Amino acid sequence: MKTFTVGGIHPPEHKLTASKAIEAMPIPAEIAVSMNQHLGKPAKPVVKVGDEVKKGQLIGEADGFISANVHAGTSGKVKAVKSAPHPGGNYSMTVIITTDGKDEWLEGCNTPAIDPTSLSKEEILRKIKDAGVVGMGGAGFPTSVKLSPPKDKPVDTIILNGAECEPFLTADHRLMLESPEGIVKGLLIITSLFEGKAKPFIGVESNKPDAVLALQKAAAGKGIEIVTLETKYPQGAEKQLINAITGRTIEEGQLPFDKGCLVQNIGTALAVYEAVCLNRPLVERIVTVSGMEIKSAKNIKAVIGTRFSDIAAFAGSMSEKTNQVITGGPMMGRSQFTLDVPVTKTTSGILFINNTMLTGSRERTCIRCGKCTSGCPQSLEPWLLATEAEFRRLDDAETYGLMNCTECGSCSYQCPSGRELVHWIKYAKALRNNRRQRKTA
Amino acid sequence: MPAHSLRLRTGTLPRYRPPEPDDASTGIPVCRLYYKPMVNEAFIPAVLSLGTLALALGVIIYFVSRKFHVAEDPMVTIINGVLPGVNCGACGYPSCNQFAEELVRTRDTSMTCPVGGSDLAAKLGDSLGIEMAEPKPVVCAVLCQGSDNVAKPSAEYVGIQDCWAATQAFAGPKLCRHSCIGLGSCIAWCDFNAMRIENGLIVIDSDLCTGCGACIPACPTGVLVMQDKKADRIFIACNSHDRGADTKRACDAGCIACQKCVKECPEQAIVIEDFVARIIQEKCTSCGKCIEVCPTKVNCIVRLNDTVKSKQAS
Ligand code: SF4
Ligand code: SF4
Ligand code: SF4
Ligand code: SF4
Repeated sequence: MKTFTVGGIHPPEHKLTASKAIEAMPIPAEIAVSMNQHLGKPAKPVVKVGDEVKKGQLIGEADGFISANVHAGTSGKVKAVKSAPHPGGNYSMTVIITTDGKDEWLEGCNTPAIDPTSLSKEEILRKIKDAGVVGMGGAGFPTSVKLSPPKDKPVDTIILNGAECEPFLTADHRLMLESPEGIVKGLLIITSLFEGKAKPFIGVESNKPDAVLALQKAAAGKGIEIVTLETKYPQGAEKQLINAITGRTIEEGQLPFDKGCLVQNIGTALAVYEAVCLNRPLVERIVTVSGMEIKSAKNIKAVIGTRFSDIAAFAGSMSEKTNQVITGGPMMGRSQFTLDVPVTKTTSGILFINNTMLTGSRERTCIRCGKCTSGCPQSLEPWLLATEAEFRRLDDAETYGLMNCTECGSCSYQCPSGRELVHWIKYAKALRNNRRQRKTA
Repeated sequence: MPAHSLRLRTGTLPRYRPPEPDDASTGIPVCRLYYKPMVNEAFIPAVLSLGTLALALGVIIYFVSRKFHVAEDPMVTIINGVLPGVNCGACGYPSCNQFAEELVRTRDTSMTCPVGGSDLAAKLGDSLGIEMAEPKPVVCAVLCQGSDNVAKPSAEYVGIQDCWAATQAFAGPKLCRHSCIGLGSCIAWCDFNAMRIENGLIVIDSDLCTGCGACIPACPTGVLVMQDKKADRIFIACNSHDRGADTKRACDAGCIACQKCVKECPEQAIVIEDFVARIIQEKCTSCGKCIEVCPTKVNCIVRLNDTVKSKQAS
């Protein structure tokens, strides 16, 4: 079985919802669609208070090259355009829509499937861009930008990321089981953009044999290689996935293009298919609602903009003991400070947990056991980076590879001393960026 | 002496001379034989070689320093003696010494050291025989009164106790994201011990604050600003750029941009910028009329000495 070569850890999987079919969540009375759901510049709101919107209507326009369109997830009336809590931990410009329950598509959206081969490369890219498709694995990089790599960097490998290595999350897993045809079609559209010069792969971790079978069936005879990967965290991180499948290593400061690779998430491939063939903008996504403290953990299909509080109610409310709500997985996800935050294009999961670490002991000193170093998939020495950060020796931290850290969290997970290693690393990065900004300002 | 030299290197050399063992009773005469020759034999080559090396290097350094000697203006030494010597950077130079060198070289009367204030300016002027400009005394003020009982909390934060670290997790433990986070990242930057945290809010001691400004870039939310050092100086101690309703929900001391003070001010010294009132320092006469009309529960218009001094007394 293939896997990446350096580091990696084996946290408990807790895939509580692996056997739960995706349920469509009823549309709540109000949705909050953030303008900042992607990497790069937030979109510019193009609707005003009082405007009637239809499902799939453009409400936020991409502002700049690295930015993405945002669409209304259902029909209704714009109640407010204001800054509101965002699952990224801060606030962002948000269009709040009072839904009318009719869920009417805008004319021209959600059409019968068309044949993608009838479209030119430019038309496909434009459709993906218009539909606001972004990487749905977590980073949210605008897909149309990612699919147009620089001319001098030929891409020979396209990888679909179905590893889903984070504990708890099963959104991609269910998608692979329930819509393998759409995923394969999406992958073929992406591959067609590279005029047969690139080979498509789908990487799936070995703990999802049923997904491998489903994909193999859907992809039979289409030249796609389904690769079973060892179950190891962080198998689904871009750099690690490339290393596992092709054996290539992305060095510090390099992008996957530099090594001829392109990685897309499973969900993104389906969104590409829906955007290109069905004229459906990206307005809903699969979210795993899980954790020990929610009554009925499930996989849901939620309209983008659905608030966490509505989702918690739909999943049978959270227990009294909940002291942490995380978006994304437990390794890389973010703790939320309020349940008013909405689902965005990159929300793969919402976890309700009782984190005993939060009430328990504080950080202790490093005992130089080396566990963090052996777990780090990026060959860093997290204890050293954290210590340099603690004493604000940012230049030293940078020489030891600060910017090469992918913030995967393996080190913090491993540390017997409870060191907040990733947090120290993020802290150092924040200080460094602040210093840079001040220097250039 | 192969066995001896090994032990020497691991640093087990005895520091005192043990009483002479009784050879006859123990039957082990090793100890005496072991110490004595080791000290003599092992030290001589070491002392000789290192000593010679040190002497040779010393001679070289002496001649090099003679050859490349740069005559330092004795004035620089004098000025250095007068300057505070804290290297805070408020003058725009990385160290007091560089400020002194530059001052002696250019004799620029507009160069000021905010830390030393006018006393220092006079002293510098005397030493150089020129009339130095007086620095405008400034002091650091906090555009936030969101202490724990005034600002509403958002969520409990249990991570690294530092403002920047907190901003990596979320907007901060207070509902108002423009507020002082209250974990004291700025304190480490203050060379004058003028900052402390009280009730989750930064407090500045205006007697100790020299206005060097070192703390200002250290604050992630930008609530620290410089104000003219005048006890009755009026400013609006709020940094919230949220709309009035949101600000009111988050904090009892937040400026809700109601415009009352703007209308009241006889000098037209108050403007609303991005949902928060700002006082134009040059126009303000410190009459205090605005303070009376501000409707917020904890008045967000304050006088400098009310914020900085009274808290110091409490
Ligand atoms: S968070 Fe960074 S330092 Fe820690 S294991 Fe992951 S890549 Fe290495
Ligand atoms: S795992 Fe923790 S205790 Fe061990 S070396 Fe790393 S930081 Fe130190
Ligand atoms: S003034 Fe700024 S740096 Fe200082 S405690 Fe408040 S938020 Fe932190
Ligand atoms: S009166 Fe008070 S609340 Fe109203 S604008 Fe002036 S400072 Fe703000």
